[in-house]
Amino acid sequence: MSNLPRILLATLCGLVLAAGVHIAVVFMAPSFAENDAFGRLQDTLTEDQAQIVSSPGGGATWLPLPDPATAVAACAFDLSDGPVRVTAKTGQDFLSFSFHTKTRGVFFAVTDRAAIRGELELVVMTPRQLDEARAAEDENEPNRDVRIVAPQEQGYIVVRVAAPYPSERAQAEEAAKAVTCTVDEEEDEAS
Amino acid sequence: MKRPIPTAALILYALLLALGLGVGSAYAVLNGNPPFGSRHLGPWQTWPKLGSAEADPYMRAIVARRSDIPLATGEGLALTAQSDSEGRKLDSACSYRIGPSTPAARWWTLTVYDEDGKLAPSELGRSGFTSPEVLRDAQNGFAVVLSRTLSAGNWLQLPASGPFSVVLRLYDIPGAAGLSLNPEDLPAIERLECGA
Repeated sequence: MSNLPRILLATLCGLVLAAGVHIAVVFMAPSFAENDAFGRLQDTLTEDQAQIVSSPGGGATWLPLPDPATAVAACAFDLSDGPVRVTAKTGQDFLSFSFHTKTRGVFFAVTDRAAIRGELELVVMTPRQLDEARAAEDENEPNRDVRIVAPQEQGYIVVRVAAPYPSERAQAEEAAKAVTCTVDEEEDEAS
Repeated sequence: MKRPIPTAALILYALLLALGLGVGSAYAVLNGNPPFGSRHLGPWQTWPKLGSAEADPYMRAIVARRSDIPLATGEGLALTAQSDSEGRKLDSACSYRIGPSTPAARWWTLTVYDEDGKLAPSELGRSGFTSPEVLRDAQNGFAVVLSRTLSAGNWLQLPASGPFSVVLRLYDIPGAAGLSLNPEDLPAIERLECGA
């Protein structure tokens, strides 16, 4: 066999493999990313309160294209320690929660329209923890928690509070910081 | 007669080609905007699935790479403009008018960013408008003027030089976010004049 067909064949193999490498890199990129939002929120895993990511009115932030009219705060969670309970007090201005997994994107979002008497409270859990919570439940006293099943154990919760006027910025930042994310201990006692 | 190239060399060549092209092309794509799932609405561009569970692998990889936290479907929708309504790149040397209406939303914000995606606050500390702030005319329309020099009405100062971008964020929009929007509903970006 002469050289030219062999080189062509090798090039073709290389191109086909390159497509495979390309796909593999794109699929694995979120898992290996260290500077993604979850990576930057590592400190908040043990905190009970959300940490400000982007202050209203600008200022230093790692968030690309921050909106100067919203306060963004976040806390990371790891459901292997137990379900995570997140609470916020809502005011007149827009407030929203979004729930993100480390590598599989957003799995839930809710705004203050869903708040009951000025409070928004949700519990994030794995499918297994949901089963356990249901099994432990007293039929006469149904649990009123709003439960959200996370498709992945690791992720982060983001809260955005509106500050439509510059005068409301400090208040929005306080509201975003006041959001609590605590590991729910009750489930352990029940079992 | 020519000597044949050793098979081992050809295999090595194919593997290096695969690695170089595969990693190189992935890197190039991940540094840009998500290649699929975008919607163009006049001068605005948006990725409605970016903040949903249906985001494709490119979107997820790009979000992770940018350390971005996209607005979730249900929270709102962000639309980016890098050119005016006639398709010319937004340039700080020119002045623009944005208006007169936006799609229905609980509230919206319009923000100017410089070339590097940083906020470009004016001397008055303003880098954007929100829907309650903006001054409206008798028909409830608005006009935000973007220019480097002071202008009457809703004025946003542009960065000193270079291209810039505008992001319109619609918070708490009804229905299937972004999928039911029409280009006519979105504000137009009209180029007024270009100075030196």
